[in-house]
Amino acid sequence: MTATRWIIVAAILAVGLAVAWTARPRPLTAAERVDRISAELRCPVCQGLSVQDSPSETARSMRALVAQRVAEGRTDDEIRAEFVRSYGDWILLSPPLLSASGLVWLAPVAAIVLGAMLAWSRARAPATVPAAAGPTDAELRRLRELVASEPE
Amino acid sequence: MNRIARYAAVVLVLGLAVVLTLAFARDPHDIKTGTVGKPAPGFALPSLTDGTTVSLDQYQGKIVVLNFWASWCIPCKEENPALTDVWERYRGTDVVLIGVVFQDSADAARDYTARLGNTWASALDGDGRMALSYGVFGPPETYFIGADGIIAGRHIGPIDEQTLMTGIETLRAKSATR
Repeated sequence: MTATRWIIVAAILAVGLAVAWTARPRPLTAAERVDRISAELRCPVCQGLSVQDSPSETARSMRALVAQRVAEGRTDDEIRAEFVRSYGDWILLSPPLLSASGLVWLAPVAAIVLGAMLAWSRARAPATVPAAAGPTDAELRRLRELVASEPE
Repeated sequence: MNRIARYAAVVLVLGLAVVLTLAFARDPHDIKTGTVGKPAPGFALPSLTDGTTVSLDQYQGKIVVLNFWASWCIPCKEENPALTDVWERYRGTDVVLIGVVFQDSADAARDYTARLGNTWASALDGDGRMALSYGVFGPPETYFIGADGIIAGRHIGPIDEQTLMTGIETLRAKSATR
């Protein structure tokens, strides 16, 4: 291997290591956890906004409660569960799969499966070419008469 | 295969029809949240008028009608006559009406109760935590808590006298048969 190739390999390795180091799993800070949980909660007085994104007073109260629970040492699941107890699964912007609202996850999958089944059944079905209808007896007779009447 | 696909399509369309029917048939004032049918979250809040503490514990064994309101809330003003009538009717009985001030200043709330002549207890939910524990969306919202401490129902939006009476009498009948 030439020196140039060694340099290229070393550079690729260095980039890979740098990416892996940056993306390594590390514990989140309290503020990052508050941001993450707030981003998963729906603001009850807004139209499709998360608690993280909403400037409303209700969202501020919710965010303060999340911060307090994080400071108390509660886990993310415990904090989410507290809001679900009050507002139901609706309060989560991404509803859990095993719930009534979780049907929204299954609907696209069901549609894709159904579409694939239909496409497969269409592809497998033998092409049905309509049988060519032959001339009727009257038509044959007329043809013979025309041929016979043609001058040689 | 064709037949299976056809059955699947029928099931999918029927499923969609059922989901849509259920969704459209639902009364928007009857949104079920996590708290209905469960023990009412306890609270101890400062009274709006005299600085004492208003807590759920002090009304144990009574039917509690919890009404979230604010002075800036126009529908709250609309429902106030119904609350006044019901309060006068059940005053001193096994039924208690408690107002909870939602996202409002104490001064504005006190001025509001004085102007409307409300005499039932109101508590200040300064940081909004109590409203969050009940799953409140916004005022006015009314919760019916049975003598057993379970939230029996909630009403979103301005409530009328008939709805209040029905909620209270249902809980009274339930208490009587216990």
